[in-house]
Amino acid sequence: MSVSLEQGIPFRPSGPFGRIAWHWRHDRKAELWMSWYAMVFFYNLFGVVFVGLTHVMPPPQPYWDDAEVAQWFRHYHSGLLVGFGIIFLISGLVAACNALIAYSMRRMSVSRAFAYSYIAIYSLSATPGMLLTAIVLSVGAMRPERDPRLIHWLYDMAFMCFVGTMGVFLIGTLVWLIAILIDRNKVFPKWFGYLNICNMITEFVVAPAWIFKAGVFSWNGTIAFWIDTAVFVVYTIAFIVLLRKMIEREDFGDGPLPGNGASLFLAPGLQEGSDQ
Amino acid sequence: MENAKTMRRGDGELLLFWMVPVLGITWLVAFFVFPGFVQPMSPTLSAGQVAAFYRDPANLPRIRYSMIVFNWFGIGMIPFLTLVVGQIGRMAHRTPILKYCYLGCLTGGPTLFFIADLFWLLAAFRPDRPPELTQMFNDLAWITFIGQVGFLIAQCVFLALAIYLDRQPRPVFRIWVAHFNLLIAAALAPASFVALAMTGPIAWDGLLSFWTRNAAIALWIVVMTIVMGGNIYSQRRHEGIGP
Repeated sequence: MSVSLEQGIPFRPSGPFGRIAWHWRHDRKAELWMSWYAMVFFYNLFGVVFVGLTHVMPPPQPYWDDAEVAQWFRHYHSGLLVGFGIIFLISGLVAACNALIAYSMRRMSVSRAFAYSYIAIYSLSATPGMLLTAIVLSVGAMRPERDPRLIHWLYDMAFMCFVGTMGVFLIGTLVWLIAILIDRNKVFPKWFGYLNICNMITEFVVAPAWIFKAGVFSWNGTIAFWIDTAVFVVYTIAFIVLLRKMIEREDFGDGPLPGNGASLFLAPGLQEGSDQ
Repeated sequence: MENAKTMRRGDGELLLFWMVPVLGITWLVAFFVFPGFVQPMSPTLSAGQVAAFYRDPANLPRIRYSMIVFNWFGIGMIPFLTLVVGQIGRMAHRTPILKYCYLGCLTGGPTLFFIADLFWLLAAFRPDRPPELTQMFNDLAWITFIGQVGFLIAQCVFLALAIYLDRQPRPVFRIWVAHFNLLIAAALAPASFVALAMTGPIAWDGLLSFWTRNAAIALWIVVMTIVMGGNIYSQRRHEGIGP
């Protein structure tokens, strides 16, 4: 980083703690990097919890009877409760992911409405798509002695919330997709716009999971789960890498920051109007 | 701005601000009216005991009335939290990203509290249902209410980071406000693991999950109301808008 050659800023030390302290103190992009690392941390932990601890991904069978479902809850009792405790603890980090993606839209040649609608849509997305699943499965796991019919009802509710929450991700992706395709500032390559279309299509493809209890379209089927998840993983890795490149390209210059009460942001093109 | 004389950016802020003490009173009253809070219900109660709690003619109206009041006013903190977003917007940051982070969090906490409220009201709607069903709605309500601290924690952490990064001669908040928010975040954290224990400090009636968590939220509201009041009034004086 050439920043350290500038006047008044000390060289970056080599130890890990010294480096973090240097970035906190002197890196002009600290706000952006914190959001990016929060995003990476969140998606990694999400993978560990949903795949490794709670065994919600890949999902168990939708056609099991009451006894088999109750057995599944007993088998993963501790994993479910510890895993979802972690999710409850860190769930607010999704706001950092959404903020960074919304910020990418503020760098594009599109109306501010895109960034704001993305924040609005995605700030509700975690509740039905992830937290309700986690709450309901925690309640299912906490009392193994509960009537198996009720445990089965909780199981259906949890997996349908998890797999079958479609609209928020559909419209949210659509907003980002339109912004990328009409953007003239080249914040993202156009192929990523088309990858957004693929992610959007998965939300249509998953709909039959509300109808079928077995086969490729059921909630753990080849199409509704495996192909859709594969697209989502590729898509997530792509945007994490592309957002990193976007932050690396940012150039904030050396100007003084606005004082208390001023309504200007220094990121070029981001000057706020009087409605700030 | 041509219309600066007729419309100013601070207009109405004080009304939103003074909603908070009124809300605080409704929350406090509803908290004490709900019979399951003053002596928090134990998760070890059997399905029959939970059903008896809802069927008790001394409890049922208090459950319904307190949860209706929470249903009205539980969402009411959002305008105040939006004023906090406005304060983050005044900070010396290079991007609006921490403002967006806070904005993305602030509906989460109230919405999840609202869902818990719906489960309590559903349990109380037909208390003569089979006891196992009442117990399940009661479990859903308590786990949602106590365990859903993620957005509140993140909100405190984002505000603290925003304050630490507000490096200017006259920062928007004093630095202790950031330390205070981190402390509240730490006090809320253990409640995330509420479903793990039926007894002890993590259980939903326990020292950490119930008393520390709820006291931390109450303390946050009181302290931040005072801090925000100081900020809003001094900004208005400084910018020549009213008192």
